[in-house]
Amino acid sequence: MSAPTTATPPGGVGEVVHDAPARGRILPRPVTGQEVVLVVVIAALWLVLGLATPAFFTSGSIIPLLVSMSPIALIGVGMTIVIITGGIDVSVGSIVMVSAVVTAQALVDHGLSLPVAVLLSVLVGGVLGLVNGVLIAYGRVQAIIITFGTLNLFKFVGLQFFGSSTVEGIPATFAFFGRGEAGRTLGIPHSFLIMLVVATAAWFYLRHTAGGRHFYAIGGDAVAARLAGVAVRRRSLIAYVLTGLLSGLAACFVIAQGTTSLAASVGSGTELAVIAAVVIGGTSITGGRGSVLGTVLGALLVQTVTTGVTQLGWQSQLSDLFVGLFIVVAVGADLVRQRSRRTS
Amino acid sequence: MTADPTPAAPPRLEVAGIAKRFGAVRAIRHADMRVDAGSVHALVGENGAGKSTLIKILSGAETADTGRVEFDGRPTDIGSTAAALALGIATVYQEPQLFAELTVAENVFTGREITRGGRIDWAAQNAKVVELLELIGLPARYATVAVGQLSIAEQQQVSIAKALAGDARVLILDEPSAILTDTEVEVLFGVVRRLAASGVSIIYISHRLDELFTIADTVTVMRDGQTIGTHPIGELSVRRIVELMVGGILDDARQERVVPDGDPVLELRGLGLEGAFHDVDVAIRPGEVVGLYGLVGSGVAEIGATVYGMSRATAGSILVAGREVSPRSPRQAQQLGIALLPANRKQQGLFGFQPISFNISAGHLPLLSRLGVWVDRRREREVARSSITRLSVKTPDEKQAVSALSGGNAQKVVLARQLVERPRILVLAEPTQGVDVGAKEEIHRIITQLADDGTAVLIVTSDLAEAIRISDRLQVVRAGTTTVEFGPGATQVDVLAAAAGAVDESGVPA
Amino acid sequence: MTTATVPDPTGTPPARTTGDERPSLASRLLRLVLTQRIALLVVLLVAVVITMTTLSQNNYLSAPYSPSYMSATLINLVPLVLLGLAELLVITSGRGGIDLSVGAIVSLTGMVFGFAYGQWGWSLLAALALAVAFGALCGALNGVLVAYVGFPALITTLATYYAFRSLALVINDQQPISTKPVQDLYSTAAAVQLPFLPESFPRVPLGIFTFLVPTVVVVWLVLARTTWGRRLYAVGTNDVAAEWTGIDVRRTRFSAYVAAGAISGLVAVVTVAQFASARPDAGVSGTGMALPAITIAVLGGVAITGGIGRVAGVVLAALLVVWLNAGILLAVPGNAGTQLQLFALGAVLVFAALLNGITNRRYGGTQ
Repeated sequence: MSAPTTATPPGGVGEVVHDAPARGRILPRPVTGQEVVLVVVIAALWLVLGLATPAFFTSGSIIPLLVSMSPIALIGVGMTIVIITGGIDVSVGSIVMVSAVVTAQALVDHGLSLPVAVLLSVLVGGVLGLVNGVLIAYGRVQAIIITFGTLNLFKFVGLQFFGSSTVEGIPATFAFFGRGEAGRTLGIPHSFLIMLVVATAAWFYLRHTAGGRHFYAIGGDAVAARLAGVAVRRRSLIAYVLTGLLSGLAACFVIAQGTTSLAASVGSGTELAVIAAVVIGGTSITGGRGSVLGTVLGALLVQTVTTGVTQLGWQSQLSDLFVGLFIVVAVGADLVRQRSRRTS
Repeated sequence: MTADPTPAAPPRLEVAGIAKRFGAVRAIRHADMRVDAGSVHALVGENGAGKSTLIKILSGAETADTGRVEFDGRPTDIGSTAAALALGIATVYQEPQLFAELTVAENVFTGREITRGGRIDWAAQNAKVVELLELIGLPARYATVAVGQLSIAEQQQVSIAKALAGDARVLILDEPSAILTDTEVEVLFGVVRRLAASGVSIIYISHRLDELFTIADTVTVMRDGQTIGTHPIGELSVRRIVELMVGGILDDARQERVVPDGDPVLELRGLGLEGAFHDVDVAIRPGEVVGLYGLVGSGVAEIGATVYGMSRATAGSILVAGREVSPRSPRQAQQLGIALLPANRKQQGLFGFQPISFNISAGHLPLLSRLGVWVDRRREREVARSSITRLSVKTPDEKQAVSALSGGNAQKVVLARQLVERPRILVLAEPTQGVDVGAKEEIHRIITQLADDGTAVLIVTSDLAEAIRISDRLQVVRAGTTTVEFGPGATQVDVLAAAAGAVDESGVPA
Repeated sequence: MTTATVPDPTGTPPARTTGDERPSLASRLLRLVLTQRIALLVVLLVAVVITMTTLSQNNYLSAPYSPSYMSATLINLVPLVLLGLAELLVITSGRGGIDLSVGAIVSLTGMVFGFAYGQWGWSLLAALALAVAFGALCGALNGVLVAYVGFPALITTLATYYAFRSLALVINDQQPISTKPVQDLYSTAAAVQLPFLPESFPRVPLGIFTFLVPTVVVVWLVLARTTWGRRLYAVGTNDVAAEWTGIDVRRTRFSAYVAAGAISGLVAVVTVAQFASARPDAGVSGTGMALPAITIAVLGGVAITGGIGRVAGVVLAALLVVWLNAGILLAVPGNAGTQLQLFALGAVLVFAALLNGITNRRYGGTQ
């Protein structure tokens, strides 16, 4: 239904080759097996949920689903790039927290306009991403260690803004991104649309530009990439900065989804949800392979499970069990495909 | 492609007086080389003669300590890989430096993508790649196939295509034929000839000396870090090249060993492993040293691994002391009394930052422990110390990390691991690769000593001199199967010829 | 994750000069502190204690940083050291080994222990054994997926983190178990006077003796003295070479995850005793338990690439963090202190990682 269909036209219509001797595709394969499987699984889940709970296919349940998945998918876009380069960023939850509290506080104190507030949030995220990127790319330290460290450091920074209380009385500036009527155009939530636009742009970037393809080369073999003239350090730096910027934007969505108050727990655990979405989407944790489309589908699947479990009247915590299972199945399926491809 | 270059034109690439040190090791003492435009220039020498260092200097991966480089008659400085590429010097290394998840077209253009308005011009890239693929003899549809899906040989051809895409004027091929089948080699030669005809200079490194006569115009020989001389191929023969490589007139004489009679302790009957080797027949008696000589890629390496349980044979049988066995793991092979010295020391042999004693005891934990649980540290230390003495490993003590040892001493440590419990059957894969001459001598002495004590030794090697020198019998592996067998009187030329398939098998003394 | 080392095809490392010319004392000391993680940790530990004691004597702290205070805070050491050791085992096993699920195992096993001891009336010993066995079972699930199926450890343990956390919450309707027997366990977390020592000697939390010391000794013995320890280091250092040496790589790696699970099971019991209640979110609330444990392991000198890691390093790293945190709480009381602890943890980790990078390039590694 509203599963993103951004990548279905294979290759792009305007570039049919006339003089090239090669017939057929001239592009890398547009859709991976994992993505097809995900679409099928999500469709099946929606069908089952639709049959089991009549309320599922109403806007009261679909809209919140799309709104909820948007921040995860948005950060997931950045995380996909990071993981493609062979890195990881477990500090995104803290980045969301810092961006959210700085922006919320500024909204309360200064009553910023929507664009200024978004800009502020994105910038804060970008700066924190820059910290990660510099440490990882130029300090030559494993990404997981550094981002575990900055996870704590950023959280400390965020808590300084919170003081010892919550941020109260946040104005409705971000209603544009929210679940309510103000957050929709033609019934489609703005946050979801923005996420789709960003994902499409990232998809184009990764697929059709030299810089984008270099992320894959770095993840495949960083030494060979360097020898081939790829600016390895600058590319990894960009990956972490992008993730920071997108986490900042996601923080706006998070504020919009909440109430007028913001608690210090905001963003906590986001990193795991995002990594889960990316991995379920078929991006290889060892680098060199992955797609933004898969990540968006992965986030949609995770959110579908969460929504579904609640709608079926089960304990909401049970959804995590299914997320865990889906990760295992997704990675397993990918592994099987890899092996069969190698032996064939 | 003539043997005598036009004297008027300056050489495409000339190096003179190159020297390079790595710490205390003098990798290159003195190298001169002059490569003409459009010629195929072979660079040969034994392992450790300094070929790879010279290649690295030419491709900008290393910088020479002294010496001068001229390109098209102009003095120049190759300070980095980028500078080399800018000059048009492209290198195809033995191990393909490719990105498995990217397509062939993308691999060819990584780092120099053709873009139009910020986006990759797939059509233009593809058109160019299809041309290149045609040139190197791969189907055009491969342009959009992920490199990871290609065979190793195909990947290497892609590497060549990649080197050519940058408008190479000098193409360095580092043992390109090593991993190719005969038909693939033919295709490769076709490519090389076409390139040379179009004016590209090719520096061709190979161990298959026979093939130089089909492809090379000129041969430069290196020995002990020095270029010994450059000759037009017409003046040379395989024998002459080998003599230049090893220094002086060949002395194939070796010390006669008396091999005791007895039933074979290891027998391979029609052994085969799909995709690697087939119909391999070998029998070794206790106290005998049998050599398996084959060029890299002949399948010879996989034979040792199969005997050791790393892979399972798909045909034939392995008999140990007359009883058929099928080891499923190195552990099972060890229980049968089989030990193996792996070919790739760094990857398969060493526990880098661990001490020498750790490296030796790792293979004998059940023996060096009480109840198989508690490590007997005193005995571990004793075994390590006695191994160090016995194999004369140069080290202050057994606590030294093996990564700090030289190649020869590290190899002795890995060898020591195989000798703690004296094996009935010892398989040695490339026992002296990357080892200095002194250590090589000592390793050979140890091997002979072991055989004298009754161990059956199987040496799997691509080092011809070694194969002849140390084996009581030498079997040549070619195209995945054992072919000719030589006795102690074999000469390097005969063996090499057999390995290259140049001699009628029936006419060779067995 | 991307280590940019160019393989040396000749296999000959540049020969090292065996120092005839002795470097100065200062540079040797610097080298010692930079390359010997234990030495660095001891220096830092002494620095922390001296700084805090000085601050305390000059009345900058809200309460005295005294031996008895330092001793009382040791109760926080128990789970930290134990889980640090669990991470030590899996990280040392190599191939990107890591266990994100330890906190979730603590939660789930805590609930299982709570049922057995608090509701089914099992004896303490039986319930304890059950907890360890159950933890090991959870670890075995990780181990099978990582070692035998070949999943990346990070993803596997992320998945099981979700699964175990979810089960822990669902298993008892998110309700903690705080029946009488469970509440009485709190006494085991009390501090005791050591025998044979003067009265003035500070009281030490009992958990140090019942859980920490035995586990540390066992893990140390296993790693340093047993064949299993040798195999683990061998597999972590170079699993290809281990395979060629005849070591069962998969079984060794699998057992590292099982051991980590068993230790997490122990921590579950410690945690239940400390809270006097089996809480379904015990190991996952806030930052969870996995992150601090990994931090401690890395700070303790465990190489994320495998094959390097010592028990003493983990213990000292945990002690450093606990006493630093204890000092921070006195220097900056209340909420701000707790927050500063986060900063300290993060800063110390980043510092340690950068230091590892520098020593690797300059001296060829940390021991």
